[in-house]
Amino acid sequence: MTPVALARAPWPDPYLNVDDYDPEADLMVINLGPQHPSTHGVFRVVLYLDGEIIIKAIPHPGYLHRGVEKLCEKLTYAQITPIVDKNDYVAPMLNEQAVNMAFEKMLGVEVPLRARYMRTILAEIQRVASHLLWLGTFAMDLGGALGGGTSVFMYCFRERESILNLFEDLTGCRFHYNTHTVGGQRHDIPAGWAAKVHQTLEAISQRIPEYETMLEHPIFVRRTKGVGVIDADLALELGLTGPLLRASGVDHDLRRDAPYHIYDQLKDLAVAVESEGDCMARYKVRVKELRESIRIARMLIDNVPEGPISGGRPIKQPGQFKAKGGQVYVGIETPRGELGTYLIAGGGKMGDTPYRLKIRPPSLHALACVPYVFPGHSLSDAVAILGSLDPIMGEVDR
Amino acid sequence: MAVNESDRSFDHPLYETLERFPGLDLATTAVDKVLTWGANNSQWIFPMATSCCGIEFMAAAASLVDLDRMGSITRGSPRQSDLMVVAGTITVKMAPRVKRLWDQMPEPKWCIAMGSCAISGDFYRDIYSVIPGIDVAIPVDVYIPGCPPNPEQLMAGMLRLQEKVNLKRAGLWSPPETRPETGKTIEPAIKRLLQAGRDERITAAQLDQAMSLMLPAVDLPPRPEPEPEPTAEADAGTTEAPAAPATPDGGHHE
Ligand code: SF4
Repeated sequence: MTPVALARAPWPDPYLNVDDYDPEADLMVINLGPQHPSTHGVFRVVLYLDGEIIIKAIPHPGYLHRGVEKLCEKLTYAQITPIVDKNDYVAPMLNEQAVNMAFEKMLGVEVPLRARYMRTILAEIQRVASHLLWLGTFAMDLGGALGGGTSVFMYCFRERESILNLFEDLTGCRFHYNTHTVGGQRHDIPAGWAAKVHQTLEAISQRIPEYETMLEHPIFVRRTKGVGVIDADLALELGLTGPLLRASGVDHDLRRDAPYHIYDQLKDLAVAVESEGDCMARYKVRVKELRESIRIARMLIDNVPEGPISGGRPIKQPGQFKAKGGQVYVGIETPRGELGTYLIAGGGKMGDTPYRLKIRPPSLHALACVPYVFPGHSLSDAVAILGSLDPIMGEVDR
Repeated sequence: MAVNESDRSFDHPLYETLERFPGLDLATTAVDKVLTWGANNSQWIFPMATSCCGIEFMAAAASLVDLDRMGSITRGSPRQSDLMVVAGTITVKMAPRVKRLWDQMPEPKWCIAMGSCAISGDFYRDIYSVIPGIDVAIPVDVYIPGCPPNPEQLMAGMLRLQEKVNLKRAGLWSPPETRPETGKTIEPAIKRLLQAGRDERITAAQLDQAMSLMLPAVDLPPRPEPEPEPTAEADAGTTEAPAAPATPDGGHHE
């Protein structure tokens, strides 16, 4: 890939040769990570500092490489769902949906309408939980600005806990649900669940203004406004998707542009777009998405049609689904962007396992902008930028 | 296969000083009680939160379960903490870093393995890049099963740890005997990092690859040939994760 030339002087070059840098300068090398509270997992960035200003950043992922794609080649289609749960562990529902949609497309299994409604609702509620977790940890990354930074974290986790309770009622697990199967859902909506969803989401939507007042603090604004600007060209070049791309002014959302589930019936889906491309814009986009997801979930939960939750025969044995060959790609919109699943069928003796399963994680592409965006910022801004990218190392390294 | 637990905890220089003076040695019991009480009720946690279990750990530290009420504060530095909670999958690349951070923690220190991944590697245990449980590298005091364990289970594990500390100080604790049917381990074909008998060429190749990623043009001194790679040892206490001089490595930063 040819490096993207950025207009932002004076440190535009991610491939800067440190030896050629000003010999008078007081250079220092600092490791951020792999174990650092602000890296949201195990991610290491080698930072070259001139004083306090970063001149070069080299990201080193791979500390959580668990070989998921290789593992999936040994397992049958019905067995893969609980494995991919562990990739993006902040939004496991979306991972399950992504692989299962790929399998359904490959095997030609029809998903009944009720299951599609349920998937949409679960995806939106999961998006709320994921953005809440992001908001809490981001506020904590920014630290002292917000009363020790942990107050927003505590509030956000309180709301997230109530969403986990919803999922626990439905599936029996707090996360790693294993509730999607090829062709539908495993667990039907229990009695009284819709009322609980309304109650929980109503409570959360009433509290969002509270967070906004907390985060409209002048210190928060000064630490995020104009920090970590990703312009639209760079974002498109690096393959950023989701809130990061929308915060850079590109109006792109797979839910509207390539609808799946029942998103094509949602004519009034509002896509949050900001043009600044800085940390503040990313924060604004995510808070708008919080509101929108709550609205969609509350709108749909009353209209779930009756009917079966799973198409085709119930899964009795793991090797039930067989495909001799062929390839499909399915991309869905997760809280972090486009989660793609590329599947080549026909592995195993019977053709009941994937030959190859490639997962396109949005966070990996988000981290690709680190060498482009970090230079020129101070060390403390690096933490803010990394937090605003919302990387989940489980899906970066897989 | 698991690392033997060293009993060096509480070998405080204070005791040696007290024992040197006749009469004062009687005070050791009282001092000991105070130290044990303190160690028990202020277990500051160093979270080795690598993956999904780390999110549950965060949930445990947050508002609903609130580990703070046990006197456990989460610290970002190993030098300020007494308890390492290993929450998540530990890979071959991460294991030397975990070991190094563990070595940086001051005695007395404790370790909780949270989740199946930290205990045994979960379903990743046969994958080339995952170590089968953190106890191949550092001694573990309490195992909390689950994928992931609930925050309440983590709380129960902390209570078990307090019991264990008390019993250890009273001299009543003995390691539980493993039942033969559950105690057996399945050996992987290629020995894992930090496991005795591992082919050193594999370690060297992996290290070379890892080091080659570091782009600064530093002249690495030639690696001394006859010395065995230190990471190949399974022994606790003597191992130091290898790092070439003047190259950045994990754990320095705080
Ligand atoms: S035990 Fe389960 S939840 Fe915990 S890190 Fe491993 S896969 Fe994730």
